[in-house]
Amino acid sequence: MKETKNNAINKQGSKGTSSAIAQPGSGFSSGWNFDFVGKRKYFLTLSAILIVISLISMFTKGFNFGLEFIGGSEIVIETNSSNLKVADVRAKISDIAPEFKNARILQVQAVGQGDKNTFSIVVSPKDEKGALRIYTADEKVELIKKVESAVGGSVVTFNEVSGDAANEMKSLTWKAVVFTLLAMLVYIAIRFKFVFGVGAVLALIHDVIITAGMFSLFGIEMNVSAIAALLTLVGYSVNDTIVVFDRIREFGRRFKGKDITVIVNDSINSTLTRTINTSLTTFFTVLMLLLFATGSIKSFGFGMSIGVVIGTYSSMFIASPVVIRWAKSI
Amino acid sequence: MRSDRVRLILSLALLVAAIVAMLLPGGRPAQGLAKLFSRVKLGLDLSGGVRLEYKVEIEQGTENSVSVVDDVWTVLRNRLDSAGYTEAVIRKSFRENNSFITIEIPDATDTTQAEKLVGSTGLLWFGQAIDERSYDPTTNPDDVNLAVRESAQWYPDKDGQNWYLVKKEINNRKDLVLSGPRISQAMPVLDQQGVANYVVSFTLDRAFVDIFKNITKELYVPEQVLNSGTTQYQTAMKKRLAIVLDDKVQFVGFVVSPIEDGKGQIRGNFSFNEAKELAAILRSGALPARLVKNSASLVSPLLGQDVIMQCLYAGIVGTALVMIYMFLFYGVMGLVADIGILYALTVIFGFLSGTGSILTLPGIAGIIFTIGTLVDGNVIIYERIKEEMRAGKTTKTAIELAFSRSFWTLFDANLTTIIAALSLYYFGTGTIKGFAITTIVGILAAMFMNLVFSKVLLDGLSGAIRVRKTGGAEK
Repeated sequence: MKETKNNAINKQGSKGTSSAIAQPGSGFSSGWNFDFVGKRKYFLTLSAILIVISLISMFTKGFNFGLEFIGGSEIVIETNSSNLKVADVRAKISDIAPEFKNARILQVQAVGQGDKNTFSIVVSPKDEKGALRIYTADEKVELIKKVESAVGGSVVTFNEVSGDAANEMKSLTWKAVVFTLLAMLVYIAIRFKFVFGVGAVLALIHDVIITAGMFSLFGIEMNVSAIAALLTLVGYSVNDTIVVFDRIREFGRRFKGKDITVIVNDSINSTLTRTINTSLTTFFTVLMLLLFATGSIKSFGFGMSIGVVIGTYSSMFIASPVVIRWAKSI
Repeated sequence: MRSDRVRLILSLALLVAAIVAMLLPGGRPAQGLAKLFSRVKLGLDLSGGVRLEYKVEIEQGTENSVSVVDDVWTVLRNRLDSAGYTEAVIRKSFRENNSFITIEIPDATDTTQAEKLVGSTGLLWFGQAIDERSYDPTTNPDDVNLAVRESAQWYPDKDGQNWYLVKKEINNRKDLVLSGPRISQAMPVLDQQGVANYVVSFTLDRAFVDIFKNITKELYVPEQVLNSGTTQYQTAMKKRLAIVLDDKVQFVGFVVSPIEDGKGQIRGNFSFNEAKELAAILRSGALPARLVKNSASLVSPLLGQDVIMQCLYAGIVGTALVMIYMFLFYGVMGLVADIGILYALTVIFGFLSGTGSILTLPGIAGIIFTIGTLVDGNVIIYERIKEEMRAGKTTKTAIELAFSRSFWTLFDANLTTIIAALSLYYFGTGTIKGFAITTIVGILAAMFMNLVFSKVLLDGLSGAIRVRKTGGAEK
């Protein structure tokens, strides 16, 4: 473990009180003593850059939305030819029906799938009025046969979502996101002082924007599982922030009158081992999902893997500096 | 340590309950270790099958829309049962101001037949077929004019191959209209006259017997006429009985004897399956509301197995990494956390087996995510124990203090994740609800494991706990 005894924060020195818990300013936390607070400008700049990149990507490149949000039909075909590329599949299926010319084709694959090659083909069939329609039962049977013979393989999934259902899903998702954020704000406001709530929610928004930005940047499918990841991330990020805030509150009471920057910095340091351990163990599991799983769950694994890293970072470098800025006392 | 004894009893009771729930009979047939999970109900995305969701379009101003949906449910249940889909699950759900019907058929590999059965609104009527074409006559002016002259309408058959000109009023008699009859019984029966063919025998509800008698008298064609050819046959061709469902002609045929008692037979060189399907259509009756397909998914059972294997890999590797890490970092206390992980997993699967909650693909993701966060509580408590011990407390006191001081941190932290999961449960649809369920159950199991089960183990092993005096405690 690292041990630094002389740094900017440490100058205050200790008054030699014997408390059960680390005393702020004594360099006596859980072995860590980084100057998080003093370097906050660098981290805020880094976050600002990440947020700008995310926003640019979201507004220019956009998202690869899942079927649940755009509606239409998704055909997932498993082929045994390992060298088949998206372009090949496009060439093979474009004559099946007019809507197949503009099909969205994604290769969906996971570690350890061997030479199986799986593609997701999303089409948006239209009726005479140009509105999204749903295939009839007989058309579906025909399409499955045609796609299987054109690409060579077997159709393992056929999903359909009507335009109404897609709209409903969008509205439900917005409601879920807004409800979760409000609930978090209310909860933190009840349990902590208002500035803590502001700090936690700013950190949350930071996490959600950057994680969503990564979905856009890497073209990972934004489906219902991805939304589940974002909401779970919200819970996780607040959880992480609360552990640090709890310690700030405890140190604040115990060492009344101390400089708030010292209290915050020591709080982050004294919870650092916990933060790293929990983040690492969570990261181990969600990374496995990203590596091994296919389909919609890959999006969950991606969102959580990015989210755990960003959420941990933000509770140390974003949430707490906000508290310092606005809190006069704790 | 009386409180520890209570904790131990509680922990063991929960563990036993979980294992009993997993081992009760009634699960899928399974061998070896898989038996432990045989009672966990798998969602369609894992087991493979067909899932159809329909929006029930209820006319505005309908007083009791819930009872309309109930009726729809009953009709669909009858239709699916009579077509052999007895294992299909039909659910009603209400979101915002809309009503939905969800049908899940495990192991089905083809949505077509089920969709046909469900999607038809089921408006059934008997009419008189007076002409037929083997092309689409609605684009041919002569045919359209013919329909207008005869005050009849062209309807395609169910395969869309042939078109029939059908009158609703038999022989233009207004009193001979049979729409939406209730058919109390209909079944495929082996044809007594033919060879290995089936006929559909049906019985009309008493209220429709008279009108059906009159219709069959009107359309009756003696059998010898059918064999004669000639002009008589031409007239007979204009007197065929048509059974129309959802504007599609299901059957056209001659009435070879007037039916007085409402018990008839439909003969048409049917195979068993064709006869069964027609019988199902006759029996199923009309739906009281229109159904609009909202979403449909077909997952092949093979894909489901692949997905389970992938998740199993991810879960095992992830759990192993977490367990190794905890042991390397915390030594004896890490072992307690590792036992705790296995304990909480048993409780989660016990809950799923015992309550019949459905495990979906996002649900598995929820469990795997929970494994990562399971140890969070342990980490918070262990860090506290280390701090207290560094400050000079004895191991026992340090454990007591750490548990009492960490409680609210744990409570706050877990509650926020539960809030997020509840929101997903409430607003989510379909398989994503499974994620909310396993996450909530996982967090509750983790909290119990952290605060009750781990405490007993730590107290028991307190003699073996060593903490390095790092961090500048010595001045």
